[in-house]
Amino acid sequence: MFSDIAISVRNLSKTYRIFGHPGDRIKQALTLGCVPFHREFTALKDVSFDIRKGETVGIIGRNGSGKSTLLQLLCGILKPSSGSVTVNGRISALLELGAGFNPEFTGRENVYFQGALMGFTKRQMDERFDDIAVFADIGEFIDQPVRMYSSGMFVRLAFAVAIHMEPEILVVDEALGVGDAAFQSKCFQRINAIREGGGSILLVTHAAEQVAHFCDRAVLLDKGNLISCGDTATVLDHYITHLGISAEKSGVDSSKMYTSNVGADEQFHCNLAYNPNETRWGDGAATISDAHFFQHDRKDPAAFSAGLETELQLFIRLHSDIENLIYGLTIKTMEGGVVLSTNSRDIFGSSHATSQVAGDSVQISFRFKPFLDAGDYLVSVGVASETPSGLLPHDRRYDSLVLRIAHPLSPTGGIDMNPSFNIIH
Amino acid sequence: MNIRYLSPWSIVRALVDHHYLLGQLIKRDVLLRYRGAYFGLLWVFLNPLLMLGIFVFVFGYIFQSRWPVQYSHIPFAINLYCGLIAFNIFGEAVSRSPSAVRGQPSYVKKIIFPVEILPIVPLGAALVHGAFNFLILIAALLWTGHFSAQIILYPLLLLPLLLLALGASWFLAAWGVFIKDMAQIVPLFVQMLFFLSPILYTASMAPEVVRPLYELNPIGAVIEVCRAAVSGATIDWAAWGVSLGIGVVAAVLGQAFFQHSRDEFADVL
Repeated sequence: MFSDIAISVRNLSKTYRIFGHPGDRIKQALTLGCVPFHREFTALKDVSFDIRKGETVGIIGRNGSGKSTLLQLLCGILKPSSGSVTVNGRISALLELGAGFNPEFTGRENVYFQGALMGFTKRQMDERFDDIAVFADIGEFIDQPVRMYSSGMFVRLAFAVAIHMEPEILVVDEALGVGDAAFQSKCFQRINAIREGGGSILLVTHAAEQVAHFCDRAVLLDKGNLISCGDTATVLDHYITHLGISAEKSGVDSSKMYTSNVGADEQFHCNLAYNPNETRWGDGAATISDAHFFQHDRKDPAAFSAGLETELQLFIRLHSDIENLIYGLTIKTMEGGVVLSTNSRDIFGSSHATSQVAGDSVQISFRFKPFLDAGDYLVSVGVASETPSGLLPHDRRYDSLVLRIAHPLSPTGGIDMNPSFNIIH
Repeated sequence: MNIRYLSPWSIVRALVDHHYLLGQLIKRDVLLRYRGAYFGLLWVFLNPLLMLGIFVFVFGYIFQSRWPVQYSHIPFAINLYCGLIAFNIFGEAVSRSPSAVRGQPSYVKKIIFPVEILPIVPLGAALVHGAFNFLILIAALLWTGHFSAQIILYPLLLLPLLLLALGASWFLAAWGVFIKDMAQIVPLFVQMLFFLSPILYTASMAPEVVRPLYELNPIGAVIEVCRAAVSGATIDWAAWGVSLGIGVVAAVLGQAFFQHSRDEFADVL
C-alpha cells in the first residue's frame, strides 16, 4: 500500500437483496437461506479506482447511477458484497447535513454530541467549539434548541461542525449549495485549506459545473458501472456524451471533442489575461476561439479602471448547426464569490436567440461596468444552446481570464456602491 | 455465521471503546424523555412509586399475599419493590430494544457510527432509572429500620440479569430492524414475564415442577437473591452462578446475531 493513497477501491460490487414483503425475510430465515425469497439488485459492479492524498475528486453520474451507494461504501456505512475499500485516514462525511442532530437539544449540545460521534472527547471539543460557533455565525441561537433554527442556521451549524473535525478525507454529497454566498465562500476557503493541508475531498453530484469548479479528477458512474476515471475535462466530456444528448442532436461524433477542434486558429490562450489553470468542458459543437477586453478604446489593457465601461468581445466558431445559442459570462472573486453572472438570454430575451450553421464565426460582446475594489477577478465565459431537455454546454471556459482592477474609485470595500453622505439637519 | 462474532471480548470492547459516546447517548435518552415535561425529572421517582402503590393495594391489601417467614419481618411493599426494581431494568430495556436501531435510521445510513452500541442505550437508560429507584429503596429501608449492610451487594447481584437484557436487546434490536411488529410483540411478552417472575410472590410459592425454571433463569434467580440481600437472608450463590453463566451465553449469542445481521441494516432502513 502506497502511503500517498487516501482511498483505494478494488473490484467493488454491491448487491441489495430485495424482499417483496417483510414476511419473505422471515420465510428465508426459517429455511436457513436455502430457499431464496428475494430478488437481487446490483447497485455497483466491479468498480476500481484510487484517490491520492490532497486530491479533490468528483463522482458524477445520473440519478440512480450508484453514486450514493459508492459513498456509503467508502464511509463504511454499507458493507461491500464483494471487493474491497481501503481507507487511510479519518473520514468526515457530509452525506446528510446534521444527520446526528436532535432538534430538542441546543446547538451547543448537538455540537458536542456530533464531536462524540466522530470520536472526540469533551476536552477536544472545548478547543474547537469557539471556532465552530464563529464559523456557523448563528449568534445567541447556539444555546437555543435546534428546532428553533431556520433551515439556513441548521445547515450552517452542521457544515461548521463537519469541517472542523480535521478530516483527512471529506466526503460531500451535494451539500455545497447551502447557505448564502458569503457562507459558501467561507466553506470554499475551508475546503481549500483542507486540501492544502493534504486532505482529500470527494464531491458527489450530478451537477457537472460543481465538478468542473472544484475537482482535479472525476469518476463517472452509470448504472453501477465505472464508465470513466481521469482528469476532470475528459470525464466531463464522457459524461455529456453519456447523457446521450450531444452526439445525435449536435451531429458531432463523440470522439471529436473540442480538443480536436482546437486548431491553429484558436487565439484565446494568447491573451495576456489568459489563465492557464482554466477548466474547460463542453461537447465542442461550438468553441470560444478568442477573447479581447476593451476599455477606453484600449485593447486588452494590463489593468482596468473600476467603474468604467468595459467590453469583452468573444469569437465563437461553429462546428455544427446549432439553434438557440446562449452566451454566458461570470465574474468571481479569487475566493469564488460571484460578483456578476449573466448570459445573453437574461439580457436579451430568448426570442433573440440566434441559430447558426456549421462553419460560421460569430463575434459577440458583453459590456459591463466593474465597480469593484482593486484586485484580481476570475472571468468565466461559455457558449451553450437551449434544448428541450435543458441547457447543452458546447464550450465552457471556467476561470479562463483574469480581470485586474488597478484603479479603484474609492477604497471602501469589495464593491463600489457609489456611496454619498449628507447632513440633513 | 462468522465465528469471530462469538468472542465475549467484542462485548467488552464495544463498551470500553465507545464509553464516552455511549454515555452521551444514554444522557440524551434520559433527558429527552423528561425535557419539557411539567414534572420533569420528578417522573423518575413518581413512575415507580405509583406502580408500587397499585401493586401494594391490590396484592397486599385485597389479595392479602403471604410471604415465607424469612421475608415476613419486612413490609410487603419493600419486598415487592426489591423485585420490581430489578425487573423494571430488564423490562424497560427489552421493551424498547426493538426500536433501538430502527428508530435511528440516520445513525445507520447517514453517518459513520458504531451501530452495535445502539441497543445498549435503552439498558443504560433503564439502569439510570434503576439507580434512582435503588435510592428510594435505601431511603425506605433506613426509614423503616430494616437496613442491612448486605444491600451493597445488590448492584453486583444484578449482573446476570443485565447480561441477559443485553443479549436480548441485541437480538431484538436486530429483529426489530427487519420486522416492525417486534415493537408491538415484545412489550406484551415483557408483561407476561412480569407475572411469571417471582416479584409479587417468591419462587418457593411456585409449584414444585416449575421451580427449577424459577431458580435458574437469570430473571427469577436475580430477583430472589436481590430480595435475600435486602432482607439480610442467605444468598444462594450457586443459583446465581448458574444464571450468570446463562447471562454470559445470552449476551454473547445476542451480540453475535446482531453483528451477523448488521450488514443489512442500511439496506433495509
